[in-house]
Parts: sequence; C-alpha cells; structure tokens
Amino acid sequence: MTSTAGVAPPLEAAPLPPDTGRRRGRTGYLLLLPGLLWLVLFFVVPFYSLVATSLYDPAGSDFRGYEMTWAVGNYVDALGEYWRPLLRSLWYGAIATLFCLVLGYVLAYAIAFKAGRWKNLMLVLVVAPFFTSFLVRTLSWKLILADDGWVVGTLQFLQVLGDDGRLLATPVAVVAGLTYNFLPFMVLPLYASLDKIDPRLVEASSDLYAHPAVGFFKVTWPLSLPGVVSGTLLTFIPASGDYINAELLGSPNQRMVGGVIQSLFTDANDYPAAAALSMVLMMLIVVMVLVYVRRAGTEDLL
Amino acid sequence: MTGTRPRPRTGPSAARGGLATRRTVLRGLGGLAVAGASVGVLPLFGQNGAQQDPAECAAPDRSGDDRLVVVSNWPGYIDPRRDEGNTRDLFEERTGVTVRYTDDINDNAEFYGKVRNQLGSCEPVGRDLMMLTDWMAARMISLGWTQPLDRKAVPNLHANLIEPLRGVAWDPDLQFHAPWQTGLTGVAYNAAKTGEIGSFSELLDNPDLAGRVTLLSEMRDTMAFALKVVGADPEDFTQDQWGDAIDRLRKAVSDGQVRAFTGNEYLQDLAAGNIVACEAWSGDIIQLQFENPDIKFVAPEEGLALWSDNMLVPNGAEHQANAEAWIDHFYDPAVAARLAAWVNYICPVEGAREEMEKLDPSLVDNDLIFPDAEMLAQTFAFMPLDDRQAMAYERDWSDVTGG
Amino acid sequence: MSQVAETPTSPEHPPAAAHGDHAAYDGLRLRDVTKEFPGGFTAVRSLDLDVPRGSFFALLGPSGCGKTTTLRMVAGLETPTSGSITLAGQDITYAKPYRRPVNTVFQSYALFPHLDIFENVAFGLRRRKTKDVDAKVREMLELVELTSQARKRPAQLSGGQQQRVALARALINNPEVLLLDEPLGALDLKLRRSMQIEVKRIQVEVGRTFVHVTHDQEEAMTMADTVAVMNGGVIEQMGAPAELYENPRSTFVANFLGQSNLIEGRVLRRAADVTTVEMHGIEVSVPSPRVHTDADAGWVGIRPEKVLVGRPGEELDAPGNTIPGGVVSDVSFVGVSTQYLVRMPWGQELQVFSQNTGRTHMFTQGESVELSWRPEYAFLLDRSQDADAGAAERVGG
Repeated sequence: MTSTAGVAPPLEAAPLPPDTGRRRGRTGYLLLLPGLLWLVLFFVVPFYSLVATSLYDPAGSDFRGYEMTWAVGNYVDALGEYWRPLLRSLWYGAIATLFCLVLGYVLAYAIAFKAGRWKNLMLVLVVAPFFTSFLVRTLSWKLILADDGWVVGTLQFLQVLGDDGRLLATPVAVVAGLTYNFLPFMVLPLYASLDKIDPRLVEASSDLYAHPAVGFFKVTWPLSLPGVVSGTLLTFIPASGDYINAELLGSPNQRMVGGVIQSLFTDANDYPAAAALSMVLMMLIVVMVLVYVRRAGTEDLL
Repeated sequence: MTGTRPRPRTGPSAARGGLATRRTVLRGLGGLAVAGASVGVLPLFGQNGAQQDPAECAAPDRSGDDRLVVVSNWPGYIDPRRDEGNTRDLFEERTGVTVRYTDDINDNAEFYGKVRNQLGSCEPVGRDLMMLTDWMAARMISLGWTQPLDRKAVPNLHANLIEPLRGVAWDPDLQFHAPWQTGLTGVAYNAAKTGEIGSFSELLDNPDLAGRVTLLSEMRDTMAFALKVVGADPEDFTQDQWGDAIDRLRKAVSDGQVRAFTGNEYLQDLAAGNIVACEAWSGDIIQLQFENPDIKFVAPEEGLALWSDNMLVPNGAEHQANAEAWIDHFYDPAVAARLAAWVNYICPVEGAREEMEKLDPSLVDNDLIFPDAEMLAQTFAFMPLDDRQAMAYERDWSDVTGG
Repeated sequence: MSQVAETPTSPEHPPAAAHGDHAAYDGLRLRDVTKEFPGGFTAVRSLDLDVPRGSFFALLGPSGCGKTTTLRMVAGLETPTSGSITLAGQDITYAKPYRRPVNTVFQSYALFPHLDIFENVAFGLRRRKTKDVDAKVREMLELVELTSQARKRPAQLSGGQQQRVALARALINNPEVLLLDEPLGALDLKLRRSMQIEVKRIQVEVGRTFVHVTHDQEEAMTMADTVAVMNGGVIEQMGAPAELYENPRSTFVANFLGQSNLIEGRVLRRAADVTTVEMHGIEVSVPSPRVHTDADAGWVGIRPEKVLVGRPGEELDAPGNTIPGGVVSDVSFVGVSTQYLVRMPWGQELQVFSQNTGRTHMFTQGESVELSWRPEYAFLLDRSQDADAGAAERVGG
C-alpha cells in the first residue's frame, strides 16, 4: 500500500471501513502462509511418507521397489520382535526422567531462590555442556565409568560393586548417561517456573502455620507444576528415543528402540519395519503425553 | 493430531453443552476428511525399484578438459599429504590430474543410505571413485549403480592383482571393481590381561572373558565366524545352519558374554582395558601394537576372514578416465608399497613386497601385510546374498544385537 | 532513642516496664529491637513499642522508614539483630513464623493462585488440623461477604475482593495479632476509602489486635486507635490520631501528618502555662504543653486551617496572636475551602485554609491582609530540625 500511495488517487489510499476488516483478515492468512508451508513441507509430507513406509509391502526391496499395500502386519511383526527394546526405552527414559527431576529440581530451586547474584553464571553453567558435542560428552562418560577408572575403583573399594563388577555396559551407565545428557532440558523449564513464584507466597504459607516442608508441597511444588510437566516431557521424549547412550555406554542387552530403528533402517534396509517401529514409538509417546498432561491437571497453569 | 481442547469456563454451562456437541461434530467431520485424504494420498508414497542400467546412467566423460578426480574413502586409509613423496602428490605429478579427496565413508550401510536416493534414480553423486567393502560393492554392482572400467585403461590392475583376490563371484573379470586394500578379520586380545586365546568360540563362551568381549557390528564379519563355530561354511551354508549360528550368538549375548557390537571403537576399549579380547581387523591391530605390544592379533582355529575394500566408479561420474588413471597408479607396485607401509593392511598388488624392501625392510616379513599363500589358503569370505536373503539375515542380526 | 522512654507521662503508654513485667503485659511488646541487614543498612534502631491487646494500631511512615521490617519481625519473617519481642507474655523473638499466633495480610495479598478462595481461607486451619473447617470457612466468607465466590480462583476476583480474601485467610486463624502490610495500597482511592471503613468494622467485630502498616497518613488516622509515626528506623511520635495531628512534636510529624506553617522564632519567656516567643518582631504565645524544645530558638507551628485571615485592623475572634503586613500572593478556590498563600513581611509564604462558610470575605491576589490564630493551636518545635522534613513523603493533601 505504501509503495503505491504516491501514485494512487487519495480515494484508494483511504479504504472504506468494512474493507479494512477483510483486508486485515487476508493479511493474517498471508502472514500465516510461510509457517504453514514450512509445516507442510517439513512435517506433513515426511509424516505421510513415514506412515506410508510403515505400510509398505514387506516383500519389497530396493531392487524391486516398494508398494504401499496397507500392510498393517508390519506393526504386528515389529511389535512382536522388538517389544523388549521398546519397553526398555520407555523404562530407561522414565528412570532417567525421574533422576533428572530430583537433581534438576534441587538445582533449579537453588538457582531460582538461593543463587543471588550468581544466578546468571549458574544458568550459563547449566547450558555450558551444550557447547560441546553430544557424542563427545557421552564418550567422556565412557572414560569416567571405565572398568579401570577411579569411579569403579572407589565403588569396588566401598564394596558397592563386586571385585569384578563394572558400570559400563550395564543399565546403570546408560541411565547415568541419559540423566546427564538431558538434565539441562529439565533444569531450564523448572527454573523458569520456579523463578516466577512470588517468594511472598512461601512466606504466606509459613505465616499460615505451614512447616517449610509442608509449605513446599502445598505451595511451591504445585506452582512449579508447569515447569515439572514441560521439563519431564522435554526430558522423557528425547531420552526414550535416544540410542547414543545405550550404544556407547550399554551392551546389546541395554539396546534401546532408537538403536533398533536405526539399524533396521541403515543396516537391514528394512524400511517398513523401521517405520512401523517409529510410528509405534511416536504413538506411544503421544498417548502417554496426553494422559500425563491431563492427569497432572496443569491445563490452567500452562 | 492432538487438537485443541475446548477451554473450560468459556460461558454459562447451558450454552457450553450446545457448543461442545457442535464442536465435536465438526471435529469428527474434520477427522473423517483427513482420514479420507490420507487413504488417497498414502499410496502415492510408494517407491520404484532402484535397479538401473549402467549404460543409461553414464555421464559424458569430461576427463580430457577437466583434470580432476573426486574420491571418497574411509578415514585414515591413505598416506597423508604432508609426507614427502606421498602417493597422491605422485599421482598429480604423473598425470596432471587434481585430486579432491574426502574421507566420508564410515560405514558401508550408512554410505549406502547416503547415496541410495540418487543412484537409485539414475542421478550423479558427485564422486568419481568410492571405496566399499566386498558385499556392498557386490550389491551396488548388481543394482547397476557402477560403471564398467575400461580394461585398456587399467593394465596394472589386470597384471598385478594378487591371485587370491581374483575371480570373485560377483565380478569375476574385474569389470567393475578394483581392490583398494585387503584385510583379515580375526581375534585380538590383550596379553597383559588374559592368557592366549586360540579360537573365536572362546570369545563366545569362555567365562573368564564374560562381559569383556566385543564383536564387530557388521553382520558378515561376525556371522562368518559364528557359522564356522557351528561347523558351517560361511561361503555356502543352509538356512538351518544360519539358524544355529544365530542361536549360538544369541545365547552369548543374553548371557552377557558380549559387551558390545562395534565398528572401529573396539580399539579404544581394548587400549583402555575395558575389554580384554575382541573380534578385530588386522590393520587396526598392527597400528595399535606400535603403542602397546601386549595387544596380539591371532588367526583363530576357525580361520581368518578375508575381505577387501574396493574402488568403484559410480553412475554419473564425470571423470571416469581420471578415475581409471588413479586405479592404475595404485596398482604400480612402488606406489602400492608406499601405501601399504602407511596403512598396514594387506597389499593387493603383486610385486609390492619387493618394492617394500627398498622402503621399509621391517615390514617385508609381516605376514599381516604380505601374507603367504598358506595363510591365505585358510581364509574364507561370506556367501553372496540376494536382497531378500540379505534383508532377512540382517533382520535376524539386528534382532540379536538389539537385545 | 526510645520513644516510649522519652515520654514517661504519656497516659496511653505506660513507662517501659522492667524485664520481669513482660509476662504480665497481655499485648504486643517490642523492646530495644534493632535490625541490621547484611549490607550494613540499619532498618530499625533500638525500637520500643507497646501495642495494647484489642487495639487497632497503625505504623505510619514513608517508604524505607522501617515499618515493614518491624512488621516482618513480629511475623517472624525476619529475625531481629538484637532486642526482644513478647506477645501476651510469651517471648516470640526467635519463634518460627509457623509457630506464632500471628497472621499477616500481605501487601498485594500473596493469595495462593493455585487454590480456590475456599482453600485459600482454609489453608491455616488445615495446617493446624482444626475441626469443622467447612463451617468456619463459610462463616468467615460470610463475614467478608464472599460466600458466592468460594470456588473461584484468586485471579478471577477484583482487587477489593482479593483484599477481603487475604483478610479472611488471616483472620480465620483467630490470631493474637493480625498484621496488615499496606493492605489497601493496590486499590484505587474510592475502593480504598470504603475498605478502610470495612476493615475497621471487622476489627471492631472480632475485637483482635490489628497492627497496620501504611504510608498513607489519612488511612492511618481513619482506621487506627493509636498511630506510631516512624522515620529512619525510629518512632518519631505515637498517640491517638487527633493528638498527633493537633500537637506534633517534631517537624517531621508536623509535615507528614497534614500540613503546617513553621515560622522561625525565639523564646522570650517561659511561664508555667504559657511560653512567649518572638517571631520576626511579633510576640506570640504558645501553651507550655505544646512547647517541644528546651532551646531558645524554635519553629512556631500552626496548621493552615487554624489561621484566620482578615483585612488589616479588622476585629477577628482570635484574641492573642495577630501578625500584620501580609499580602495575598495566591488564591485557590477548592469548594469547601479557599486556600491562600500569604507573603509575610519577612518574605515567607504562609498557607491559610479558610472554610467557605459564606460569612467570610473572599480575598483576591495582591490584597493586604492580617493573619491571626488562637494561641492554644500553636506549637513550638526544635529549631535544629529541618523545617521541610516529611513534607515530600506526605501522601496526597
């Protein structure tokens, strides 16, 4: 409009009131267009492609090509063969999320309420691990937990581990790696939601005869629920889909579903099974998230 | 997919009921529409077969006016450019062809995934040479993804390739491939931590090694030995024998005997002492031995697996003549010896051993670089698989390695 | 700087009792309480305070004067650096906040946003495992007229309603002392006025001790039986609102609580009941109980509404202090009254509020006038105090 304003007769430059509304509506849709296009291109199309792949004729191959034959049996096969790593992923993800929640809550609470002028520095330190690669960080855990390393040595000395006990290639190492790698995803939303809590509310609970512990569970905890919910989701979803930690710190008996999908896809070239397993994982997570968010009753707080 | 839930408290409860039902109906209709559209759209996502005819997918050769060759290889698989008189500089001097060299192959399957879409639809991948292990080379050749080599352009290859590598089933006349380096798969152990290990089956059931063993993550590497363990011939086995071998391995995995299935990472674990024995590749171990003499590579009772990484010219390569010049260059025994002195794998070139005398006499008698005929006689390879077999076996494999 | 100790004769505030007597006192008593914050800032200095049981007590002062810190120490949310606090004979100086029979109405209420009104009010009862929570909460909601809002969340209520919830939430616990920290500060003027009356009504009804912190002198005077004016961590003066207003003892109180004309003067004679002061050549008299300085120099103070204005030589009904030679320099008509600024011969401008009774003459700018006041309204303050102290911090008129 501005570009033509110089040339156009004044009548056009001043649109009638009803026009304004319609034009504004159209502008809104136009502004929405890039986002919509992006979504279609990078979410809807790949999503359909994944769904279609999961329903390919399992007799297909790169030589023959693949036909979409609504082969729902792929799902049954994939579940039948890989339910163990699937459950294991959800289980490890859940334990790691729980550890992240406990550790992350203490940390976020300390940063929000006790850190004073160190607050920003501590937040930077929480994010700092992201400055190095995920892989390098996980590999360094391999060094920390090495069979001849000091951690194992100390635990053996304390008789927590047997003399030929070890941490690497056990679920302990995998869960520790997951916990470590996804902790920042828990701390940041927790911090955001704890930091918003008015400290006077805690004072008020204390003034109203609540012992600090009771005050925490009656006031601080419920008010931090939005952070707890988003933190646990941000931790649980990637942790249960992760396979790097299981691959580097675990043994085949700790393999997670992400690793199975990856090897089905790249090694076995069994695209239908890989896609079906991905779909199952995705649907499981979506359902769990929905149930969780409703059960947590945080809709009003979010 | 999740949809937005109606916000509570949007109005008096009487009105809310009506609103909710109308919304439910609308949402139901929307869902039906999406489902209907999906039924229509999903079949469009089918894929055609990826097999191609090399003749149709050949690109015009620009080697004459574009003096360039683009090479993809595995990391650490060539002598470095900083070395005086290195093989690449020598090639550039001799031919005037510039080398653009990338070490972007880390894994056969992964590389396959990387080039699959282009080669499967007859499009170029921007490379003139790529180095792939036997089974992957076989698969690509059978998919028609590689260009035949001009016999006259690679005389050194035909003259100097060592005997044991000739006549492979998937390309008996060296029409499509030229071995780059050859290696042996066997067993390595840390002599400081365990006694001598004489067989692959020990890796699977010696309780002293429980949880301190790694095997290789490529199916053919490990299953060849597992088949040997159950008394089958990896070059010709039946479905039942395959089943026995898989079960044997599954038991070892579920007993916690096997710590991991790895690529090259077993080197760090072996050096760090996290594992005491493993299935290993010969060249890796020779390099590790320079730092740690306790590390031993042995030919187990079951024998050694012999494999090669092979140079292939992909469809759509624009500098095939330059690529052929590269192949021929590396089949010059002097060049091959120089390369072998650095990478420590088996040199596939006849006459390189004599050249090595001049270069580094200490390596001449290393039978992991220049194995004698007797040693090579007891090596074995893996039976060629068609795509259905490969997929079924890989699936069994990932079932076992997937815990 | 103990205020109470300085006024041993003050009738409402008995002399500071010896330690042994604390147990006998049934109100709230602070003795020699000091609070220093880590930065070295001293918020409260050696404060003595007695709040009789059942009274409505206001702590009045500008922001930063230490009134909120005092309140928080009573609530247990801050620990005094030294001194003691007793309540109904019990030493509560170091008692945990959740163990004190004291409840607080917080500034901007601090209602629990995740609980509905009912649960907010029930919070204290539930913590103490009281019986009949339902009935008690209903009764309390009735008292504050919020029965119909019981199941709403705080964010859905108006400011005034939230204020009443905060009050109900504290009051339901039947505290020995209810602390109110600027409880009306967030409300608009009109609502504030009606809430002042409301809170006062509730206090009378429940008969509990209320300690109200505010920086609004009008609010303090409207609501409280006793007002303590705080400044710089100490109490400047304490007493009934009318007493504070009519007989301020410092320039700060004179200016902070309403407005005052302060005129430089010199004491000529001190008699038993009257002190005579010379003020720029004019002799005025001040009743001796209203003289708050022992020195020769002082500030003669007079409230603007106590000053009468007339034509030069006109007979006014204020025998005693008459100051001639004024010139009207500004006139503001505000309806109920007319406010004059009168420039005196010595250059000072004095304020005069004249009630518009209809019987007095309206002066215009530039007219010559004579001012006068009854001697019993004047007061004499210490010359060493700043004549403008407290004026800038005063809220509203």
